[in-house]
Amino acid sequence: MNGIERVKLECKSLHQYLCTLPQALLESLYEHPATCTVVFRELPQLAKYYVMRVLFVDKPITKVAVTSWATNEARSEHTEAVAALCDLHVWNEVILPGGVSSAYSLSFTFRKNLQKTLIGGGESWSSTAHLGPDKHAKDVAELDKYATERWEALLHFLVGSASNSAISQDLQDLLVQSGLIRVGEEDGRRYTNITAKGFQFLLLDSGSQVWFFVLEYLNWVRDRGMNLVPILRFIFELSFSSVGKVSKVCSLPNVTWSQSTKAKFLQDLPTDGKDDRVLQCLQHFREMGLVMQRKRTSRRFYPTRLVINIASRMQNSSSSALSTGFIIAETNYRIYAYTNSELQYAILALFCEMLYRFPNVCVLQLTRESVQTAVVNGITADQILHFIRANAHPDMLKNDPVIAPTLADQVRLWAMERDRLTFQEGVLYNQFLAQHDFEVLRNYARELGALVWENAAKRNMIVTKDAHDQVKRYWKRYKKESGT
Amino acid sequence: MGKKKVKKRKYEEDDSYINVEQNYPVDDDDDDFEESRSGVVSLPAAAGRDLDRISGSSAGTDAICDQFGAKDYRSQMTMKKDHACRPLYVAPDGHIFLESFSPVYKHARDFLIAISEPICRPKFIHEFRLTPYSLYAAVSVGLDTDDIIEYLSRLSKTTIPDGIIEFIKLCTQSYGKVKLVLKHNRYYVESTHVSVMQTLLKDGEIAKCRKTDSGVEDPLSVSTVVGENVLQLNKGDLPDGSNSNPDGDAEVPKDIYDFYEHLDKEDDKSTEEMKVVSFEVLQEQVETLQKRCIQMEYPLLAEYDFRNDTINPDLKIDLKPTTVLRPYQEKSLRKMFGNGRARSGVIVLPCGAGKTLVGVTAACTVRKRCMVLCTSGVAVEQWRSQFKMWSTADDSMICRFTSDAKDRPHGCSIAISTYSMMGHTTKRAYESEKVMEWIRSQEWGLMILDEVHTIPAKQFRRVLTVVQSHCKLGLTATLVREDDKISDLNFLIGPKLYEANWMELQDGGYIARVQCAEVWCPMTPEFYREYLAIKSRKRMLLYVMNPNKFRACQFLVRFHEQRNDKIVVFSDNVFALKEYAIRMGKPYIYGPTTQGERLQILQNFMHNPKVNTIFISKVGDNSIDLPAANVLIQVSSHGGSRRQEAQRLGRILRAKKGSLVEEYNAFFYSLVSQDTVEVAFSTKRQRFLVNQGYAFKAITKLTGMDDEPNLAFHTKAEQHQLLQKVLAASDIDAEEELVPGEANYSSRGSSSTYTKRKGAMSSLSGADDSVYMEYSNSKHKNNIHDLFKRFR
Repeated sequence: MNGIERVKLECKSLHQYLCTLPQALLESLYEHPATCTVVFRELPQLAKYYVMRVLFVDKPITKVAVTSWATNEARSEHTEAVAALCDLHVWNEVILPGGVSSAYSLSFTFRKNLQKTLIGGGESWSSTAHLGPDKHAKDVAELDKYATERWEALLHFLVGSASNSAISQDLQDLLVQSGLIRVGEEDGRRYTNITAKGFQFLLLDSGSQVWFFVLEYLNWVRDRGMNLVPILRFIFELSFSSVGKVSKVCSLPNVTWSQSTKAKFLQDLPTDGKDDRVLQCLQHFREMGLVMQRKRTSRRFYPTRLVINIASRMQNSSSSALSTGFIIAETNYRIYAYTNSELQYAILALFCEMLYRFPNVCVLQLTRESVQTAVVNGITADQILHFIRANAHPDMLKNDPVIAPTLADQVRLWAMERDRLTFQEGVLYNQFLAQHDFEVLRNYARELGALVWENAAKRNMIVTKDAHDQVKRYWKRYKKESGT
Repeated sequence: MGKKKVKKRKYEEDDSYINVEQNYPVDDDDDDFEESRSGVVSLPAAAGRDLDRISGSSAGTDAICDQFGAKDYRSQMTMKKDHACRPLYVAPDGHIFLESFSPVYKHARDFLIAISEPICRPKFIHEFRLTPYSLYAAVSVGLDTDDIIEYLSRLSKTTIPDGIIEFIKLCTQSYGKVKLVLKHNRYYVESTHVSVMQTLLKDGEIAKCRKTDSGVEDPLSVSTVVGENVLQLNKGDLPDGSNSNPDGDAEVPKDIYDFYEHLDKEDDKSTEEMKVVSFEVLQEQVETLQKRCIQMEYPLLAEYDFRNDTINPDLKIDLKPTTVLRPYQEKSLRKMFGNGRARSGVIVLPCGAGKTLVGVTAACTVRKRCMVLCTSGVAVEQWRSQFKMWSTADDSMICRFTSDAKDRPHGCSIAISTYSMMGHTTKRAYESEKVMEWIRSQEWGLMILDEVHTIPAKQFRRVLTVVQSHCKLGLTATLVREDDKISDLNFLIGPKLYEANWMELQDGGYIARVQCAEVWCPMTPEFYREYLAIKSRKRMLLYVMNPNKFRACQFLVRFHEQRNDKIVVFSDNVFALKEYAIRMGKPYIYGPTTQGERLQILQNFMHNPKVNTIFISKVGDNSIDLPAANVLIQVSSHGGSRRQEAQRLGRILRAKKGSLVEEYNAFFYSLVSQDTVEVAFSTKRQRFLVNQGYAFKAITKLTGMDDEPNLAFHTKAEQHQLLQKVLAASDIDAEEELVPGEANYSSRGSSSTYTKRKGAMSSLSGADDSVYMEYSNSKHKNNIHDLFKRFR
């Protein structure tokens, strides 16, 4: 209606995503111990406790009994926990024989596999021990570089800036499907255009970006009629390889520890024993920079930091490990960006006017025009401010609030300037032959409360769309009556 | 020709900065400028040099624009390894960016202020620009070419572009080498560079100006000059900033630190001896010499060796023992008296930061006859009282020369007058003619020019012909003009010696912490319809008289009166001024208000607890000191003038009691009618202050305004009545007030170009300006006096 696309980029958490899956699919997912552990970790605290409580109880527990576990003060947490368990089909509602009282029973497969992870048993996790040491071993920096390069190539494609960043057809399809770009054709040449959603995507921190993209990837896989289960399992396994070990790097101050975990970060995984679908998925991930594999045929691969970001994202903590803050925003709407990255530069160009580039820093200006152009492209003022805040230079972080209120206000006001008009749908009635006719119909519409606007001199009037039929009927009846 | 080109380029550059500029009427125009260029002082060609052209032609390094339209300089400079601890970037087009969070910020700041013009100084990164004028100023305060280049490259994170080095060399090498010194009342040309002297003397015209005793070629006289610290100040308790070690030495690269020390020492030059060569000049040939030297690109720096001046009597004035200067005031004066002599130049301090005290101190240091020129009669009174407050001068020493007050000049040593008195060309009364004669015959030691940005070049030139002074000190808060003609002051008075940073003074508690706000007042539908329909100047009345604006103004006045604040409301438009003031029952001052009435209103405002609000037209923009005022509401203003905005803010900048208690202790509201041309004006006006680091808060809705009872124009009927009144007003009402001394005033084609205001004028000469008279007659007959009766 008002010309500006209003799309909100939604980024679900893992829990929300899993809830959308059908029960059968979830059941087959639970066949896999790693998945069970991931799901278990995602549960609310109280739900975890409930699961542990019934893990070795084979019989269903009646609802009454379950309710008695929590005190009245904790009622809301209790309801939340039970809902979470039921949504994920970890607990299923059953009717006890006799049909009087309903009860909850723990999913059989889930129980079995969670037990396995806790007390051991089952087949051992894949390892590359049998492949011997890697001749082409990489260190952390190289891995990071690789991941950043690949991911930025994808974003570059999105921005449409650098021409050298070609990406595969599959990923392009994925971008189209997820609504980040739209494809048009002109003179027989295909061209792509970033959408409002795409702009919003760019302004997310890299952790959220990867997670969002992985979710879209899963939808895309499902839409192609492929089986989600092995791929989800693969992702969980991947994230697991990092969740358990690498995320500890930041939490433990002990130096020796972090060194040892650092070594484990370089954990490589074998490609053996994966089925074709997973191998295909691996290639996609490789292109996105989530994993590194030296050659397509190489029998081992390394998960990169981006996957670790997925893991932390699952736990709803957004962190952008790839970059530290680089933006300084002044009260005179100047922006200084300490960056050499073409990508960050291109993103800033979405809502700033560019003035100078020096080695290591660029000078930009937020203007009314530049902000409004961004708004037309579908970026909201809050997203701009969020991007600045999320990437604020350490010296700017000393400010409280980080962005000067006047600057924030001004950006919002500039964006709002385009929102001054409100739109109302209606139907125009004109070309009345007599003033009296016009007045009769206008009065009728006014009585209905459906008159939007009138100009008696020109005998024009507009009525609301809803009332159009009624007014039209009245008009026909009136004509008939006056005609006869 | 070069000059023209520069001017054009400057505009373009301004446009690229915020591209709204050209849509607005350029104000502050003085039409008479062009002709004045051919006058006494011409400009050296180097001053017109174009940085882009130099760098473009010499190194072939035109700015490459990247795909987003930014100038990409990455190929022209390489990063130094230790760039993290160096604070600045130098762009090939002369812009310099300084990180204020750098450990060497302090070192870099003083240096950059000396060599370049500050463009914007918000919190984190400050922008400066190298211009021929700024480099000229740098040279004249004693920096030389190599020092500038060396230190700049030490401070820079990257290598310095070749174009910049060449530019600095071009602009500085010929400047500042030769000085014109007045010693024992004889003029000497003096230089430390023998080769330069020889070049000059080879020129026939200059050789003719040389004074020789016997017609025989004398060798150049060589002497040594010992600079001494002449600035005698009462030291406060404050520790001397320059002696304390900079904190965080560890992070400061050693070369920067060493150099800073070196420059610091040079600044003081307490007992350093210098070899100089000099020759004496025939007094009557001084002007020819000056002109010729500028043509040869060796502009003469004027310095006044006042301690060796035995002809002019010393004054017996000193600063009172209780007078203590603030650090920045001291620093600015150091620049002026850096080498034991007095340099001419301009000192830029924010309003309310104590410019007057700087002037008084300068007068007490020179201790020769002193002439102070300011913009209005009220300012004359204020200077007089300031002299008495800070120094040992008494009434017998101070002589006022205005239309209202003429003290007997003979035997006095400090004369205070206005620009218009000095620049007056038509016939004067007998008495004042006598005074003028006396002023002309005197040799003045120091001339202080207050609010120097306001004077058009032509008037200024006239003043210079009347007052013969050895040294000129210009004082101002805002060295900006919409027409950029400010740069010519460099050669009319002297270079900018010092410019203070507003934010630092605010943080130091020397000036008030101001909350600036732009209040958005939606146009009422009826007014907006008329606004769109009318194309004449009356449009202005419609957005100024917007009922919502009036209500906002009334609401703010009430709100602040309840807080016991003192409120000043500014309106350029006299029709609106009177309408607002009368409706709210407050006193108002505008052009035709007589001097006595003004003083009375101002006195009442300051001391009478019942008078908390006054309305002032633009006559109050400059030099009306309102120490009590802490709230300023701006109803209508002069187009997009940045200077006016800054000057008005200055009215409430004087530091308030309890400055550190509240976050803000002064308030500046600018009322803007939405969707009118005012919005764009306001954006432009705020640019200067925003660049100084002020933040304007946009208030879209005043909370509580709807609940406030008894605000005017509540009903449609009232609003309609107002609209009728506005529509009935004539086009003249829509005009802004014409204030004598303003450029467009003189261009109205009246016979006497510069006149005093009506009331004042009639008493002086009876030669009233006809245009002005008509204008005031037609309007203020009916309603001016009734309001003021209670103050009589």
